[in-house]
Amino acid sequence: MKTAGSWRFTTLGILITAMAVFIVIQMLRIQISPQADALRDKGELYSGTWRTLTPARGQIYDRWGHLLAGNNTVYEVGVILSEVENPSTIALAMNAVVDSDYDEVLAATSTEASSEAVYATLARFVTEEQKLRLEQLAKEMATAYGNRKDKNRPSLAGLTYDPRLRRSYPEKDLASNILGFVNWEGEGFFGVEERFNIELAGNPQRVWVPFDPNRVEELPDNPEGTSLILTIDRTIQAELEEIVESTIKDTGSESTTILVMNPKTGDILGAATSPRLDLNEFWRYDEIFEDSTPFNRAVSETYEPGSVYKVLTMAAAIDGGAVKPKTSFLDTGSIEVGGTIIRNWNSGAWGPQDMLGCMQHSLNVCLAWVATELGANKFYQYMQDFGIGHITGVDLAGESPGHLKLPGDGDWYEADLGTNAFGQGVAVTPIQMVMAVSALANEGQMVFPRIVLSMIDNGKQYNTSPRSSGSPISPETAQKISKMLATSLEVESSDALVEGYSIAGKTGTAEIPTPYGYTSSQTNASFVGWGPVDDPRFLVYVWLEKPSTSPWGSVVASPVFRQVVERLVVLMNIPTDEIRHQLVEGQ
Amino acid sequence: MYKVQSITQAYSQAPWRKQLQWIGLFMLALILAAMVAGIYLSVSAQASTAGREIQIMYGEMEEIRRNIEDSESQLAILNSNAVMEKRAEELNFYPVESAEIFYILVPGYIDPGQVSLAKPPGVTIPKTATISPEYTESLMEWLSERVFNPASSLVQEVEP
Repeated sequence: MKTAGSWRFTTLGILITAMAVFIVIQMLRIQISPQADALRDKGELYSGTWRTLTPARGQIYDRWGHLLAGNNTVYEVGVILSEVENPSTIALAMNAVVDSDYDEVLAATSTEASSEAVYATLARFVTEEQKLRLEQLAKEMATAYGNRKDKNRPSLAGLTYDPRLRRSYPEKDLASNILGFVNWEGEGFFGVEERFNIELAGNPQRVWVPFDPNRVEELPDNPEGTSLILTIDRTIQAELEEIVESTIKDTGSESTTILVMNPKTGDILGAATSPRLDLNEFWRYDEIFEDSTPFNRAVSETYEPGSVYKVLTMAAAIDGGAVKPKTSFLDTGSIEVGGTIIRNWNSGAWGPQDMLGCMQHSLNVCLAWVATELGANKFYQYMQDFGIGHITGVDLAGESPGHLKLPGDGDWYEADLGTNAFGQGVAVTPIQMVMAVSALANEGQMVFPRIVLSMIDNGKQYNTSPRSSGSPISPETAQKISKMLATSLEVESSDALVEGYSIAGKTGTAEIPTPYGYTSSQTNASFVGWGPVDDPRFLVYVWLEKPSTSPWGSVVASPVFRQVVERLVVLMNIPTDEIRHQLVEGQ
Repeated sequence: MYKVQSITQAYSQAPWRKQLQWIGLFMLALILAAMVAGIYLSVSAQASTAGREIQIMYGEMEEIRRNIEDSESQLAILNSNAVMEKRAEELNFYPVESAEIFYILVPGYIDPGQVSLAKPPGVTIPKTATISPEYTESLMEWLSERVFNPASSLVQEVEP
């Protein structure tokens, strides 16, 4: 039975059904249209966010586990533009608390919020104290002006704080030349930080984090970067740095570098130089290291070592059989090598000498003769075996290889054999000298200098082992040269001697080459020594650049060596020779 | 013909009764659908809550890690060489000279050797998926899993 208005219901039904069919068709069309994938991707984009999980940078410790480089929390302060109520208040607060530029912050916070402009970064690396101060200010403003309805009420609404980790150095400038620093971008510069940047930084991972809690996924395990235990002893390093400072003050030298190594293992126990930088304020680098000053002179700066190099020449000659400790030489005050006349440091003739006398009086003429007796080929082979002219491979960034001219090179002349014999015309770094001399102190076995003692990765500690870098000389030669140098210091009553301890060593005074030849007004004064002679525990290298109180290594460098050794024997628990021998006998 | 119609009429149900049956069936379907929807809603709500809690916990884990790093740095500052030296001076200690040291032989003393800083191993927990599938799969997936593969719930994959 049809009623009068039933056609209306029929029409409405058809219309609604048609609309439903149309909606379904449209849905299907959208699903299978060519734009469907792009639309789906766009939708997916808004369903979460990509996050980079940056692991904490690995820590750096000294050999006893004292933290030298760690991490602390800092904040990135930004604004959500749509929530900003008063840009000038934010600019004022940021200027007062974080020292940000008022105009820059005002410009950033005044940006109109849009789909393109959502968030603006105002400051990075804001400390916890600064962040708390900003939060306090925001709270105070909300309490004082929160009820006011006017548009210009003071407000810090919109500020956000995003925490992150930043490198921190609890010891400030201690061992700064060894550690290096990490810049704003988290990249290591200089020293261990640069050399092991990849290991320390760990593996940052980029992950998709959905906003929908139903789609939450397990975040990947993100272990912190590899931690390092260095061979450095914090207390020895602090003592060395104190001595460096006082030496610069007392001698007027441009810089002072002191290296202390265990000659048996190659462990660098301390390496102090100048200038140093508080690593927590690494942005002052340009201000402190002016005119391309090397960050660590111990590994990066080459110089002509002068007479300390004679220990290598004499060791090579004795080992090569060219001379013996008792071989006599008549010093007439000059010798001609390759057409160049070589004279002694005082231009004097020292008469008949044995090799001990030659080393004791540091006679250039005698050492040039010794090198000619050995012969150029053998001499340079020994120098290469000692590692001169090559990097040592120490675990620090920016090591320089130095320069050793060899027979056959375009810039090598026969005269170089004579001058190289006493450390002129050859460029070395302090770390090279330390490695070379380790052969003399360690019974002929040369060791690679080592800075990294252990690595800690994924909860496991991996210890490194001392590595030999060859045997350029025999144990007998090493013993002979040690004995010669110990006697030489005793006979001279050198300022380097430390009461109760047998020390072997040699001073060095090198004129500095200039475009106009060598200048004797400015010198490199140095001292290399080790002890106790019968059981060496330390090898110390001292280098003073351009001292003004005296140009002589024996006057300015020897006392510094003594000062270092006096502290080392205490810090390393080394009894005097007499007590040590008694203790050994008592065992 | 009349007879057949009479019989059919006699045995057919009254129209109101048929309507009631249809209404009953419809209501039954509606209640079933409502029950399923209710369960689905309940499980989804629980999954969402758990998911949100997981998100919060990840945030807390990060914060704890940062706090540990902060504390280690703070401790290192308090024990730094300069601070320790100052404290020693305040307590009237002074750097000892070589001549002031008295050495004795201690029989049986063993050098402690190299420092070990690797963190001690914690309690070993088998590495399993942290988020249970109950929180990620849909109700339909859960039902089909239980219906077609009922034994699967008894097996749990554990990595060695």
